[in-house]
Amino acid sequence: MAGQTDHSLSIFSAAEVEFIAEDEMIEIVPNIRMDALNLLCGDFGPFVPQIPCTVPLWLAVALKKRGKCSIRTPDWMSVEKLTQVLEAERESPREFQPLPFHYVEISRLLLDHAHDDIPEVYMVRSLIEDIRNVRFHKVESGLETISGRTHAVKLKNLSAMEVNLVRPFMARVLQAFYKHDSPEMVQQADTSASKRPQVVDRGPRRDLRPR
Amino acid sequence: MPGYYDISDILMEDEAVSVVFHVGANGVGLLDPGTETNSVEKGAKIDLPFWLAHELCRRRAVSITIPSCFGQKMKKDVQADAACVDLGTRYPYFYEFGCKLFPLVGDKSIGPFLRHTFANRYKEMLSKSHTASLNAIPKFVLRLSKEEYQLFEAARSSMVEFKKWRVRDLGLMKTTIVGHKRKTDLH
Repeated sequence: MAGQTDHSLSIFSAAEVEFIAEDEMIEIVPNIRMDALNLLCGDFGPFVPQIPCTVPLWLAVALKKRGKCSIRTPDWMSVEKLTQVLEAERESPREFQPLPFHYVEISRLLLDHAHDDIPEVYMVRSLIEDIRNVRFHKVESGLETISGRTHAVKLKNLSAMEVNLVRPFMARVLQAFYKHDSPEMVQQADTSASKRPQVVDRGPRRDLRPR
Repeated sequence: MPGYYDISDILMEDEAVSVVFHVGANGVGLLDPGTETNSVEKGAKIDLPFWLAHELCRRRAVSITIPSCFGQKMKKDVQADAACVDLGTRYPYFYEFGCKLFPLVGDKSIGPFLRHTFANRYKEMLSKSHTASLNAIPKFVLRLSKEEYQLFEAARSSMVEFKKWRVRDLGLMKTTIVGHKRKTDLH
């Protein structure tokens, strides 16, 4: 039962995950001339007007706020790509589509600060919302099939923010199941407790998608 | 095992269990309201707090009878519908109590029974706890035991925090996000 009252199971707050996401690189098109920036994390520039270059997201947002650049949307954020991803998500009920690890945070930052740089911004926003909802429902329905034998849960292609969302709940649930399923509590093999549909038990690992 | 200092553990051990004394005990007539002398007879049935019963059972001075929360009626309730059983008001420490009681009592079916109850209730809780909003407390929360309530809180607080983060800087643009009502939303 240790850890049941542990309130620090949620290790990252949402703002902290966003902070980590801001390290991703993104393309911008500056509209001023500036010398190279020599930072601890790398060297960027020199910035020449209308010549695109790659900078970290935090720098891009900072320049954008001062009106010194315009941000080029990443490839995965176009309406066609997002529609494809959404269709694929809806069709495969147990798999997650590959998306950039920080897609939630990146899209939120870009939609907030650079919405004039994104073509069809309302479409993009609602598509991303839909994708997020569909994925989250998949996570939930996958979690329903955790039985007592689950030692670990594997969720492939889940993004950072989604993982952070379910992390405290899942950790506690796994602890609770482990506690109830410890050897001195279960006398017989499996026969007593299954009144719900028993999912195929692959042993120590329980995938949330079929192999 | 939770620590010595764990508050919920201390509170849980205050639950009363009915025990049968194997030996007579002198000077503790306080425990038995029906006795005239200041002692407890052998074979008397008394209600003791669990921490006391646990120790005496270890020394084989008493034997613990299974309390009603693990009895036949409860089993029937759980079989009927596990999610509706009201653990919050009647037995908030249902699971912890069962785990502690299990090695002391001869009934071996408590363990699987606990797990079965938890597994069934967990599935109900799963969807509801994630969609619960900050202000409205759905009625089913009152039916959760302490342990389940912590699970529910963990899920709900992380959802709420995420939502707050999402609409943080938006101001007037909130309406474009809060759109689609799903059928699993609880209001």
